Amino acid sequence: MMTELFRLEDVTFAHNPNVPPVMDGFSLTIEGGRRTAVLGANGAGKTTLFYTLTGVHRPQKGQVLYNGSPIDYTREGLRDLRSDVAVVLQNPDEQIFCSLVEEDVAFGPLNLGIDRDEVEARVEKALRDMRISEYARRPLQQLSGGQRKRVAIAGALAMQPKIMIMDEPTAGLDPQASMEVMELAEKLRLNGVTVLISTHDIDLVYRWADVSDVLNKGKIEFTGDADEFYSDPERVYDCGLLIPSVYGMNKDVSAVNGMDASPYPHSCSEFTAKFGRPSEVGTVYCVPVEEAEAADRYDSVMKDMRGMCTGVYGPDVRYALRERDVEFRFDAVDACFLKAVEGKDTVLFYDPIYDVSVKEQAKRLGAFGADIRTEAVR
Amino acid sequence: MSDSLLRTEKVTFSYSRKGAKVLDEMDIDIPVGKKTAILGSNGAGKSTLFSVLNALNKPASGKVYYKDAPMSYSHSGKIRMRSEVSILFQNPNEMMFKPYVEQDVAYGPENMKLPKEEVEERVQEALFAVGMEAYRKSPIMKLSYGQRKRVTLAGVLAMRPSVLIMDEPTAGLDPQMAYEVMEIAEQLNSSGVTVIMSSHDTDLVYSWADEIRVLNSSKCVYSGIPEPFYEDYQLVQKAGLLMPSVYRMNRTFANLGKCELEPYPHTQSQLSVKISDRCATDFGVMNVVKVDKDTDIPALLASEGLEGLPIGIYGMSARTARNKTEMSVDFMYNGPENCIRKCLSGEDSVLLCDPIMVDKAVSSADFINGNGYGKIDVRTV
Ligand SMILES: Nc1ncnc2c1ncn2[C@@H]1O[C@H](COP(=O)(O)OP(=O)(O)OP(=O)(O)O)[C@@H](O)[C@H]1O
Ligand SMILES: [Mg+2]
Repeated sequence: MMTELFRLEDVTFAHNPNVPPVMDGFSLTIEGGRRTAVLGANGAGKTTLFYTLTGVHRPQKGQVLYNGSPIDYTREGLRDLRSDVAVVLQNPDEQIFCSLVEEDVAFGPLNLGIDRDEVEARVEKALRDMRISEYARRPLQQLSGGQRKRVAIAGALAMQPKIMIMDEPTAGLDPQASMEVMELAEKLRLNGVTVLISTHDIDLVYRWADVSDVLNKGKIEFTGDADEFYSDPERVYDCGLLIPSVYGMNKDVSAVNGMDASPYPHSCSEFTAKFGRPSEVGTVYCVPVEEAEAADRYDSVMKDMRGMCTGVYGPDVRYALRERDVEFRFDAVDACFLKAVEGKDTVLFYDPIYDVSVKEQAKRLGAFGADIRTEAVR
Repeated sequence: MSDSLLRTEKVTFSYSRKGAKVLDEMDIDIPVGKKTAILGSNGAGKSTLFSVLNALNKPASGKVYYKDAPMSYSHSGKIRMRSEVSILFQNPNEMMFKPYVEQDVAYGPENMKLPKEEVEERVQEALFAVGMEAYRKSPIMKLSYGQRKRVTLAGVLAMRPSVLIMDEPTAGLDPQMAYEVMEIAEQLNSSGVTVIMSSHDTDLVYSWADEIRVLNSSKCVYSGIPEPFYEDYQLVQKAGLLMPSVYRMNRTFANLGKCELEPYPHTQSQLSVKISDRCATDFGVMNVVKVDKDTDIPALLASEGLEGLPIGIYGMSARTARNKTEMSVDFMYNGPENCIRKCLSGEDSVLLCDPIMVDKAVSSADFINGNGYGKIDVRTV
């Protein structure tokens, strides 16, 4: 069920009258509930677009509709808009409001007028989700680049927005933290939040996005399915982008082996399923479990499944099982699926909310000839 | 004594007297002439280590050796270290010293008290190397993020360092610009510069690095080629890292009996050739064409009978020569890899190549030719 969230109608915006407009007649619809990637070269206007969605920039021409009505640029109107829409800026230093980490994360929600106890709970959770609780009382200037980025993301999480816009969320984050941000993005989506991500990490968004909006030279160059966009190398090149590596390899090997390029694998497990042609696939034993029960559940399940590889998916289960010897702590769905392609069984523990997501990914893998079994463990 | 150019011995460092030890009796060595990647989670101490390697920060205890001599922290010693070991910081805005491009690039050499002519020569050479000659007189404020990154890189190059350190050079850059920066580093490495990079892009590092060093809990927990490290999932996990996707997929294909585990592929084309069904005889020819910055490319290609083939480009002189023509190029980025991919699909290809990069370009076929996956004929023109 798609709903129209934002609509840009022929929007033109220039930072000042003497320079060419960054947005030169943008028409674009952003639908609720879809994983939306915004792509484009440095300077293509991604950040400007985001500022337009939050009413920071007001177009000189055209209009922006939010939930069907034009953005109200009065003080109250913008306050309402910004309580719905949170933005993680590309450069965390532009988003730092307070000197201590926990104060900084609390700044947004306090500004929305949320009461202190609630804010405290949100801050604690957001810090834990970004795994920076131990820095809560540290001054921000003393953190490394990636640690500051995590603080900025925690700040946006604590706002509990309806729409989460993330500008380069994974730049500067270490590999595990990047995967974790993508997990959190998925969790937000499952909770009904619409997530927009702009990033230069084409391999990462290629896996994630349902819809890709590509900006180029002041225009919306493309909206739709990434595989369609990447099928035209000249256009990709002209947009300052490159082809995702899985896409490129699939094209090469399919051509040589005389196979259809479609279906297009988007992840390692899908790629290996397509070209490894496994004769026998393994089972992924699924254990959706709440945080409070996770440790006990793990111990009892693993008594029966001794020796099997395990994975965790979701921040809460990961936290609950931090002391256990879990083989795949990040990117676990793909890792367990890879094992299944190899014919091995694995056990996947996850926050219950991810259940649909796990099933959906398993179904997608089926299209590549690997009908893995996802079996719920009693 | 060894082939290490930079070495730390039990180096301990904290940002304040009572603060936590960011580096704790760390031993690390950087081999001369190679490409070494420093890996580690956020806050592992990569940037801090870099500041210690070029004498920006002095360790509380332990020693840093450059070319087997202990580092001197006298004023002149520090100036010397900073010209020998140059750092490209992550955020270009932090490294901009002057309002105009040429002034900014000249800043380092001027601080080294070099004669005026030499400064001028270096500025010109450095701007050429990053492809920004045309912007000499531009105000930095007017440049895009990627252009600023290139100007800061020029400033680093103008120091003519023996060691180039790049702290997350590709973060925030679009994919094409990221490749440009990496190609410039490759070019320097071809001319003998030792290159050190930190990056969170696991796949990029895996295709780039000769060696890796992994930092965790204030120590260097791994030194060597990547594979033994990635074999140890507990260590990988503890260090905040993930396995490269090419490495993971190769392992799965090997477990499925689709290919042998070794040799380990590091690039897409290497993995592709391992798993594709093509018989080994019908690969295309890769023509590596040496191009100076004054070469007339269309004329050269015509005289060699190489017209109409897919063309890749590699190295600064080739880019400069190409910019003087209207000629279209198929692969502006990652030239060698893309030309190899064409050859694997049975087509011939042309790589316009800076003479200094020819060995690198030619060696990109080694994986295929040296391991029995077939033969790509490489012709140097
Ligand atoms: N100026 C400073 N004052 C005090 N502590 C600092 C300072 N800069 C960094 N630190 C601390 O030193 C540790 C190492 O930081 P460093 O910047 O070297 O990490 P890094 O490996 O480069 O991380 P990243 O991947 O996030 O860039 C971190 O715990 C950080 O909080
Ligand atoms: Mg750093």
